[in-house]
Amino acid sequence: MMGEMHVPARSRARKTTAKTADTVATVVLWALALVCLAVLGSIIGYILVKGLAVVFDPKFILGKPQAINAGGGILPFLLSSIYLTLLTMVIIMPIGVGAAIYMAEFAGESRITRLVRFGADSLATVPSIVFGLFGLALFVVAFGMGPCLMAGALTLALLNLPAVMRTSEEALRAVPASYREASLGLGASRWQTIRKVVLPSAVPGITTGGILTIGRILGESAALVFTMPLFATKAPTSLFSGGAAIAPNLWYTLTEAITPDAQRIAQGEAAALVILILALNLVARFLAHRYQARQGMVG
Amino acid sequence: MRSGKRWILGGALLLAALLTVVGLAGCGNSSTTSDQNLTGKVSLSGSTTVLPPASEAASQFMDIHPGVQVSVQGGGSSVGITQLSQGLVDIGMSSRELKSEEQNQGFLDHKIALDVIVVVANPGMTVDDLTKDQVKGIFTGQLTNWKDVGGADAPITVVVRDKASGTREMFDEKALDSQDSTTAAIEANSNGIVRQTVASTRNAIGYISLGYLDGTVKALKYNSVEGSKDTALAKTYPLSRFLHMFTKGEPQGVVGVFIDFVLSERFQNDVVAREYIPATEL
Amino acid sequence: MTRRDAAAVAKPALNSEWIVRKTLFVFAMTTVLGIILVIFFVARESIPALRQVGWSNIFLSATWNPNVSNPATGHYGLLVPLAGTLAATLGGIIIGGPLAIGTAIFLTQIAPPRTGKLVVRGIELLAGIPSVIFGWIGLVVLVPMLARVTNTQGYGILAASFILGIMIIPTVTTIAKDALETVPEEYKQASFGMGATRWQTIYKVILPSAKEGLLVALILGIGRAIGETMAVQLVIGNARQFPNSLTSVTSTLTSRIVTDMGESTGAFRSALFVQGLVLLIMAMVIILLIRLVTRKTVKAA
Repeated sequence: MMGEMHVPARSRARKTTAKTADTVATVVLWALALVCLAVLGSIIGYILVKGLAVVFDPKFILGKPQAINAGGGILPFLLSSIYLTLLTMVIIMPIGVGAAIYMAEFAGESRITRLVRFGADSLATVPSIVFGLFGLALFVVAFGMGPCLMAGALTLALLNLPAVMRTSEEALRAVPASYREASLGLGASRWQTIRKVVLPSAVPGITTGGILTIGRILGESAALVFTMPLFATKAPTSLFSGGAAIAPNLWYTLTEAITPDAQRIAQGEAAALVILILALNLVARFLAHRYQARQGMVG
Repeated sequence: MRSGKRWILGGALLLAALLTVVGLAGCGNSSTTSDQNLTGKVSLSGSTTVLPPASEAASQFMDIHPGVQVSVQGGGSSVGITQLSQGLVDIGMSSRELKSEEQNQGFLDHKIALDVIVVVANPGMTVDDLTKDQVKGIFTGQLTNWKDVGGADAPITVVVRDKASGTREMFDEKALDSQDSTTAAIEANSNGIVRQTVASTRNAIGYISLGYLDGTVKALKYNSVEGSKDTALAKTYPLSRFLHMFTKGEPQGVVGVFIDFVLSERFQNDVVAREYIPATEL
Repeated sequence: MTRRDAAAVAKPALNSEWIVRKTLFVFAMTTVLGIILVIFFVARESIPALRQVGWSNIFLSATWNPNVSNPATGHYGLLVPLAGTLAATLGGIIIGGPLAIGTAIFLTQIAPPRTGKLVVRGIELLAGIPSVIFGWIGLVVLVPMLARVTNTQGYGILAASFILGIMIIPTVTTIAKDALETVPEEYKQASFGMGATRWQTIYKVILPSAKEGLLVALILGIGRAIGETMAVQLVIGNARQFPNSLTSVTSTLTSRIVTDMGESTGAFRSALFVQGLVLLIMAMVIILLIRLVTRKTVKAA
């Protein structure tokens, strides 16, 4: 009798505890997610509050950097970053997309593809400072380039290759098989099918991946500290001339710069970087959105 | 698809136009009177201590002489001297004297500045004079509390330069008798950052070049002698060194013009004097 | 595959197709060539230090005291930065791991669609913030704050752990979210059908069946933390002592490399490459661990 009485009571108690645990867990999980958002919000807020006034000063954005005196600008750093991004993308896109086409369209599952995937995974896991050391040893010293635009771009190309390859491969694999079959059925060759049908359909996905890669190139500093100058008063005038990109220069400003207004320069550079990256994110989002809208219309 | 392509093309064109405008604006603002006649190349490498004034000199020099290409690289004093002897550069920058094995190569020494190092503390510290032994004790980690040197009871936070810096090399040699500084010391990569760290960290002590001394940190006397140009030149204050530009023999042509520019009254007063004792005052 | 090849052979477009295929193959192989080159050059540059200073003086020594003017006579023990790397990484995982995994659970199990979208966008944005900017914020906000709270210099393991904890969130959350999303909906329905609460379902059903994926997420987070350079270098103090307390200043492999590379030459520079080599080996271990974990999952499935 007693035992029979007991069981429902205990189970009721258990149910209450379970409910309490559920509420607590829900609250905690909400809190964790909100902490993440709050951290992000305060970081971006801090950067913009500190940096907006600096960044919108034309003397800062369009000015010449100063090694010693106050009042330096960042135009050559911005230009260097833009050149570096363009050069890296010119190197990386054909190779990355080409490799992705091979993996998605030509290679099945074989020892070769497993090897390629292992190579890509390895490159993706190696810390960027190690790429910096590698670039120093190979491009800067062994090839005798010295720290320059090309050395930085080659290093960044290798660093970002896995990401470009992965996003491109995903975009290619997302193209419906029926497209390929239709094209092949019409007598087109495999390469014609890829070029005329598969690749165009994958362009939005590849572009989005490319834009995210641009963001990573703009923000990269560890791979560039040994492969490009950290400070230079002029933007590069040729592929093999120096020039300092903005992110590594921010590190230089924080650790080595001796100008009296280093704090202000750092604030402006941080804000410039974040604004660029926010803008790129918006563009990527916009493209993805447009693409989805068009897909919707087709379907 | 076509509209997407047009969009990208338009964006690229816009970007290109923007770049051109911005690039031209950047080129057009050299205000100083320029001298087109001088042409040639000057290359420098070496000490990262000499790098900032040398970069500034290069930039100003190229504004005056647009036909000249001056390239400046770091690498350290030893790199500069080695590259000079190998003929890879025209000028080797150094923050130390030549070693015995580096002499007899016909290097000509151009002293461009005197660097005086002062020991600085957080402004909250009451101590204002340290003996050589006390400085040595603090920076080697033997003395770890301000009360050991006559201050309040508080742990000392030591800030030093990175091992590869010429300033650290000189300080270790002259102030620490070539002993190693404490492993607990925070390492910073520049005078400016040492100053900032000492200024913002309570109980901190460090060392910086005289030119960086400002109200944010407190300069300490060393063996009761204040670090200054006069005490350094009179050799009563030992923590100082010359900054050099070495050339192989008498500098020729454009290299000579560049050295003259670095040693000119204007450049020395406008730039070098901000950090160091200018060569014009030696 | 082979049948397709045979078909290709029969076609007149054979030659150009063949060239295209081989070119693309070469492109794909750049990843393999790339990692081989990275390993080769970092290893090659490490040799002088290992030769001149000796293995044991590097791998078994805690003394880092380079000799700038005569590099071969310096001390290049890497135990201190190695310990610093492990300590900062551990701290980062302790702070960032729960935040990231919790957020992933929130996103997949609890979040209302709009909130979820907002958090996902936020995480994506966080992933895009350059590491040097995290370092800057750490330097100007976090370090002074920790200095006040802990009554120390503020630099050190704790500061680095906070920064790393935040920096690994995007990596860990994204992968953990993917893992949680692959848990079949039926599992969840069955659990609810048995009267389980949402938390019981998460805790007893969803987390266990996504275990491997979550582990992979954490391992990748560890990989990210080990290799992080600029942000850590700015806040850890770069001292040459072992981390002996939460607020102790120390250095990591990455921070040692960037702090000292400046004017280094000879065995000194080479010893910094040895530290890079150790980072490279750690990255390889991370990959192998992930392969091990995922292979088990594949076998189980």
